[in-house]
Amino acid sequence: MELLQSIVNAVLGLGSQVFLPVVMILVGLLVKMKFKDAFSAGLTLGVAFVGMGAIIGFMFGFISPAAEALVNNTGIQLTAIDVGWSPLASIAWAWPYAFILFPIQIIVNMVMIALNKTNTLNVDLWNVWNKILTAVMVVAVSGSVVAAMVVGTIQVVFELWNADLTQKQVQKTTGIPGVSVPHSMMMFAVVLNPFNKILEKIPGLNIDVDAQTLKDKIGVFAENHVMGFIIGTLIGFAAGYAPVAAVNLGISTGTALTLFPMVAKLFMVALSPISDAAGEFMKSKFPGREFYIGLDWPILAGSPELWVTAVLLVPVMLVFALILPGNNVLPMGGIVNICLVAPLLIITGGNIVRMVILGVMSTPIFLYVGTLLAPTITDLARTTGTYDVPAGQMISWAGMEMPVFRYVFSQASDIINGNFVGLIFLAVWGGLWFLYVKEWNARNKEL
Amino acid sequence: MKRVIVACGSGVATSQMVASKVARLLKEKRVNAVVDAVDIKSIATHIKQCDVYIAITAPTVDYPVPVLNGIAFLTGMGMDKELDKLINLLK
Repeated sequence: MELLQSIVNAVLGLGSQVFLPVVMILVGLLVKMKFKDAFSAGLTLGVAFVGMGAIIGFMFGFISPAAEALVNNTGIQLTAIDVGWSPLASIAWAWPYAFILFPIQIIVNMVMIALNKTNTLNVDLWNVWNKILTAVMVVAVSGSVVAAMVVGTIQVVFELWNADLTQKQVQKTTGIPGVSVPHSMMMFAVVLNPFNKILEKIPGLNIDVDAQTLKDKIGVFAENHVMGFIIGTLIGFAAGYAPVAAVNLGISTGTALTLFPMVAKLFMVALSPISDAAGEFMKSKFPGREFYIGLDWPILAGSPELWVTAVLLVPVMLVFALILPGNNVLPMGGIVNICLVAPLLIITGGNIVRMVILGVMSTPIFLYVGTLLAPTITDLARTTGTYDVPAGQMISWAGMEMPVFRYVFSQASDIINGNFVGLIFLAVWGGLWFLYVKEWNARNKEL
Repeated sequence: MKRVIVACGSGVATSQMVASKVARLLKEKRVNAVVDAVDIKSIATHIKQCDVYIAITAPTVDYPVPVLNGIAFLTGMGMDKELDKLINLLK
């Protein structure tokens, strides 16, 4: 065990931008990539880490003084900067045990298909990082890597079950047959379900809204540079900056939010050959078997309701961030909260009125879990040497996937340390899941 | 050189996965083209600067360029047919 610990420490000492490319090259060679291609993929991963670090450094360069000025000017102290999902994904991948979740997802999925426990073959291996982020949170609470892997496994099972349950609705919404969405963000629908049932009973709320027209009008606000500019400028004014300085802050924020996905793309460039090879491998093991192919959430992105609701919820999150007692998250990169609106789209069947009402009700959950997440994720970024976060400031994500599931299961993992409070959370989750399965079984008969 | 774009909700994961795969397939067939992943939120800008659009979602409006089915590249079903269409468009 001590040997293992010292190996882990030596690996950590390398820093993620050296260690992960090496792992990447080895995994690449394992799936029979040419050395040249594997080397290029590994190096791309290193470039992605350094690139992401450069933008994070750039962002803190202007956002730290702005956050300080905000405190001085208004007394509002929000030290956890919401950087959105892409830096979070890279920090998660930098966790030393991250790669173990890859075989876990593949093996659990294949066993479940073989035993007829799911009909979804999840070829979306990019989102293995969702499991990694959960695992990181579990370790933060329980201190146990084994518990983290157990919860990661449980998450894979729930994701696949949820994909099966919602497949018909996904097909109805997207018009694409034979696919399902095992993305973890969809799990938030389990929490939304009972509230959606109540709202369904209120007759006045079933109004038809022309989502496409609305989207054409306000969709531009969801674009990274535009949203970044607006948020940055608003923070600038709130911080008491002169108009020119506030607009400058706006353009800088727009720059950071535009560059994050550009660099994040490099992670996918590096991972794509391995992900492809793994997907082909899984499919080849079940010749002739029909199943739903599990894909990432963007197959839902054609629905105008999704974008209209996301934009309408932006000011809601900003206001909540300012007034909620105990919130420490300054919303920025995650303010267009896809991880909320995608499950809303599916659970309401695309009813914008209910999507917005439920969205307003659940936004505080995202801010509070984002507040809880901040110390854990900042600590990981620092200890793995992934990113420099200035002292007194933290990284977080205001729109994290399935905040409730992650909270419940990370708290519950503390059972191994003799803390049984988590059992209550597990019981509540179990109850919600029971209602959820009942709901979909009823709906699927009509779909 | 002709430019192909693939769009998804972030311009990062799904679109880049399809873009990388299409680029690899085109290289194997010795067809020269640039394949870029873009953010679907900014599709109105990108569509003006491409020759073919590979969509992950069912298109709701008409685009000025040919639109191909990106799901085929993700699931593998009907992929060869879409690839042939793409190669013809790039000739």
